[in-house]
Amino acid sequence: MSRIAGGLVDRSRTFSFTFDGRRLQGHPGDTLASALMANGVRLVARSFKYHRPRGIFSAGSEEPNALVTLRSGARAEPNTRATCIELYDGLEAHSQNRWPSLGFDALAVNDLASPFLAAGFYYKTFMWPAAFWEKLYEPAIRRAAGLGKLGTDPDPDAYDKGFLHCDLLVIGGGAAGLAAALTAGRSGASVILADEDFRLGGRLLMESHALDDAPAADWVARVEAELASMSNVRILRRTTVFGSYDHGVFGAVERVGDHLPRPVTVRQTLWRITARRSILAAGATERHIPFANNDRPGILLGGALRAYVNRWGVTPQARDADRVAIFTDNDDGHRTAADLVARGVPVLAVIDPREDARRQGDYQILGGARVTGTFGRRGLSAIEVARNGRRDVLECAVLGVSGGWNPNLHLASHHRGRPQWSGAHQAFLPPADLPPGMCVAGGAAGQGSTHAALQSGAQAAAQALGCTPAPLPRAEDAPVAQAPLWHVAGRGRAWVDFQNDVTVKDIALAHRENMRSVEHLKRWTTLGMATDQGKTANVTALAVMAELTGTGIAQTGTTVFRPPYTPVALATLGGGDSGMNFRPTRLTPTHAFALAQGASFVEVGQWMRAQMFPRPGETHWRETVDREARAVRAGVGLCDVTTLGKIDVQGADAGEFLNRVYCNGMATLKVGKVRYGLMLREDGFAHDDGTCARLADDRYVVTTTTANAGAVYRQMEFARQCLWPDLDVQLISTTDAWAQIAVAGPQSRALLTRIVDGFDLSNDAFPFMGCAELTVCGGLRARLFRISFSGELAYEIAVPARYGNALMERLMHKGADLGATPYGTEALGVLRIEKGHATGAELNGQTTAQMLGMGRMVSTKKDSIGAVMSRREGLVADTRRLVGLRAVDPAAPIPAGAHLFAADAPRGTATDQGWVTSACWSPHLDSHIALGFLSDGAARMGETIVAANPLEGGEVAVTVTSAHFIDPEGDRLRD
Amino acid sequence: MTDLTPLCALGAADPRRSVLGALTLTERPDVALASLALRRGMDAPAPFGLTLPQPGRCVCADGTTALWTGPGQWMIAAEGAADTDFAAAVLAEAPGASVTEQTDGWVCIDIRSTGGGAPITRLLEKLVNLPPEALREGCAARAGLHHLGVFVMRHAEDRLTLLGMRSAAGSLWHALSEAASRLEIETRP
Amino acid sequence: MLIPHPLLGPRDAQEFTYLGDAALLNRPGGGDEAAFLAYTHLRDNPAGVHRELWFHEQGDRSWLVVTRDTVSHEILGAQLASDVKRGGS
Repeated sequence: MSRIAGGLVDRSRTFSFTFDGRRLQGHPGDTLASALMANGVRLVARSFKYHRPRGIFSAGSEEPNALVTLRSGARAEPNTRATCIELYDGLEAHSQNRWPSLGFDALAVNDLASPFLAAGFYYKTFMWPAAFWEKLYEPAIRRAAGLGKLGTDPDPDAYDKGFLHCDLLVIGGGAAGLAAALTAGRSGASVILADEDFRLGGRLLMESHALDDAPAADWVARVEAELASMSNVRILRRTTVFGSYDHGVFGAVERVGDHLPRPVTVRQTLWRITARRSILAAGATERHIPFANNDRPGILLGGALRAYVNRWGVTPQARDADRVAIFTDNDDGHRTAADLVARGVPVLAVIDPREDARRQGDYQILGGARVTGTFGRRGLSAIEVARNGRRDVLECAVLGVSGGWNPNLHLASHHRGRPQWSGAHQAFLPPADLPPGMCVAGGAAGQGSTHAALQSGAQAAAQALGCTPAPLPRAEDAPVAQAPLWHVAGRGRAWVDFQNDVTVKDIALAHRENMRSVEHLKRWTTLGMATDQGKTANVTALAVMAELTGTGIAQTGTTVFRPPYTPVALATLGGGDSGMNFRPTRLTPTHAFALAQGASFVEVGQWMRAQMFPRPGETHWRETVDREARAVRAGVGLCDVTTLGKIDVQGADAGEFLNRVYCNGMATLKVGKVRYGLMLREDGFAHDDGTCARLADDRYVVTTTTANAGAVYRQMEFARQCLWPDLDVQLISTTDAWAQIAVAGPQSRALLTRIVDGFDLSNDAFPFMGCAELTVCGGLRARLFRISFSGELAYEIAVPARYGNALMERLMHKGADLGATPYGTEALGVLRIEKGHATGAELNGQTTAQMLGMGRMVSTKKDSIGAVMSRREGLVADTRRLVGLRAVDPAAPIPAGAHLFAADAPRGTATDQGWVTSACWSPHLDSHIALGFLSDGAARMGETIVAANPLEGGEVAVTVTSAHFIDPEGDRLRD
Repeated sequence: MTDLTPLCALGAADPRRSVLGALTLTERPDVALASLALRRGMDAPAPFGLTLPQPGRCVCADGTTALWTGPGQWMIAAEGAADTDFAAAVLAEAPGASVTEQTDGWVCIDIRSTGGGAPITRLLEKLVNLPPEALREGCAARAGLHHLGVFVMRHAEDRLTLLGMRSAAGSLWHALSEAASRLEIETRP
Repeated sequence: MLIPHPLLGPRDAQEFTYLGDAALLNRPGGGDEAAFLAYTHLRDNPAGVHRELWFHEQGDRSWLVVTRDTVSHEILGAQLASDVKRGGS
């Protein structure tokens, strides 16, 4: 066991957890990584390409190696970094990318084949023969590729989203972030402090330095308590700010329930944070130094080793007596050695390529030395050290590697700013062109010492808000000298990117093959393209490439970063918009009635509409639909048509406005009358149709199709505000305010007579296309329109929505002896096809008024949207017309979408003469019928043509007829 | 008076009410609504003595509220007046304006807090993307909420009224009650 | 993105529906087909400052003319489209 004294874990309580089924124990405050270390588990994963044994490499979100599958079943989450998983009681984790077991992995043979799996392998190997790609290469690659496997069961957890606004967003809760938040909080500004860890403090928790002679954790606790007491400060722990977007908008994911055995409410929340100013205080990530076989379990970052010792009281030793070595090119590595010695961990030596390295404690320094190789099958057992021309093999179980620190500037370059190389820091620093409102502090800005981090955080907040920096404790400010060693040359493979198995040799190969720019290098070798995005690899790889090209790192440059900073689950990005939250459901006013009648429903946009009302004994949907359609033509049918968009148009210029919006005239419409209206788009094609009812000189109610209600309203507002703002016209939607019921059929007048309060419904008093405001059912305000979609004598009656359900029930009750029958959207469709009325299938954006047989409706006496363009030569010359199509064999269905051909013509695009828009079985004609657009359609009545369905095969002979199968003269409407 | 029985927007004969921790959600079928838009060249009227508010604001007196809904356009709301011809009443108060009956176009939901303003603030941050200054006392805004357009009126620190499309009342109630119940669980002592 | 609404202050772009070039305000008068052809179909697509129409669909239903740099996404201003149209600018 390798627990040592100290640390910030609660040893008074014990959690038990399993790794690959092995039962282990840890404490609150542990991560899975620290708990595995405490149990002596060193081998935790297999690498992506070569299936090499891997251990824990870091202590944070940059982890490239220790990826596990967390939880099981539907909750299994692959590729989770053990270094970021907060331990909880009962945690279950599994290693991945191995078979049959982590200890013995069959695909480790890939490692022997590594000469063939080098950079550009995919591009070179699978080029030829092409036919092999689909059958052989792709399936084989897919089987071998990937790390963990995603479960296929639905995710049982809930996700949430939210919106936060603040004066200052502080990203990172380490020394700089805490100093910034404290300064900002005391100024009274609204502040959000977000940190990805479950405990605030950042590196302060992982170092042994004191602040004002007390442990740094004490200061962290005091600041945290003060911030928590401020109502203007919001602390978001376990929250990763993953993206910086335009105008101060940030994306963040809060892991609300991931540290619990089961989430109590939601698992994660997606926050959209709008911040006036922001401070990036995300710290820095340590680099490693590539040398031969540098990927064995037991080799990890020096700063991570120090973190495990100081924060978690644990080391990656297998036994207490195992020796620990440090390989560093800078002074920071020596701090690790000093902390280890102070905790009684046996330190073999610090191997430092510098001859003049400064000792920081009681340990041996091997100056002018480098590590040139390692030994140990599933974990480090010895290292080879080259010094003064000699190579010695030294036994040790742990090697901490320190190659300097890279500022975590990712979010600072999300707006395309290029990081800048600093020779003084030997690191890329944030770009000069930061996202507006952002400044960078602490390690992320290259301010490495605790003193500098604290001061820069407070200064940044003070500048952003124009306030005074908070007083800060005394802290270490030692300079950290470095003589960068970008890799140790040698024959063996030296890993640069652990997660994607990219080695120094791969970079050299990319160089030889002229893939030298950073963008090419990245794609040729897959460097930095794994889930860790090369956080521990990219800069080192660039430096190796720079060395090969001899151009220097500044000239080699770096890629810019894109969101997300760390991986974000797709479910989280969905923000819980699934199930009931996927989109709103709109119910019609008669929904309760339809439910009680056993209706089936269909989604029409957001609306749930009654599709049909099956009766007991009806065994096929068409039986129901035929009965409903017949009932309308024989007696009276009732259909909720509330979903049609309704817009109230008022103002002195309402008529003139509608004249300009509709292609036909509306200003001449008399009060108390309704007119069919067709709207065009400005390019001359038909947009939408509906009715205009004139309620008063200065007031109309217009309707739109259900699907286009929003678009038509937007278009009318465009016309009102952007084209003709001087017209006196006011618009407002009233779609939901009125329950509108179609009362259709020869008995409709008789039925309505029974509910109106003395209103004269006779043909003379209230003729076809009349409208009126009246009362029904003893004083209920209503609107009545004599319009017909079915082709029968028909009305639409509108009452305040809350009375819609009761009105429907009343009409059913009063009309029982008249055959009153509710009908759904299917019968509605049959009736309108029989009548030849257009709907969405005919108004599909590719058709014109002329094609619809309404060419003469486009008034030439006035200007209206689309009128000029509708007269274009090409559109006028189009001979396609809406026609009816009747199956020659009445029992032969006509597929909607079928294409129309002359009977003797070859079936091809050159001979295509149109298409079928809508089709149904007509119970009144006892035949399958359809509507469609046909070339020269007006002149082809009676001709037999073919509706072909090349997609599914089959064709059917159809006779061309008028689109008005029923009552072409319209007598029934006017009766 | 008609003998037809009305239904509330949420589909029942009686209004829905739900107590979730500090928050109480109440459907308000009694609230009458009418929109009021100025015609060209018209001076702003003062219906029911209310000074029509500036953009983003609402004013309230004696159970009648006016909220700004767009340039030259307001919604007038009156408690307990749903059974009257409210549009006619508004038109009488604002002669010459364009007035449209809206009572049945919306579901009106009151949210009251027994824990001061904080629970309402926490609820809203899960629902609407508006800065706090647009949701202070006396503010009114139209915003997107779970893909719905809603009016949000903050009458007082501890009182909020939402207006949403009547047809989507169920979806709106679901969104509000789900967020409120999660908040209740998360802030449980 | 945030759109600086002239009446309501900064509002998230998700509340808006985008239409396109603000040249759509300049609908030709008369029946000149060529002018309508240009109006309907011909657009500049500048990398840089662009005046464009946004509709505050989930807000006050105002059409706005927003001046935006399409490269940096910086927004240089926003006006009510009706004011722009009346002002003839």
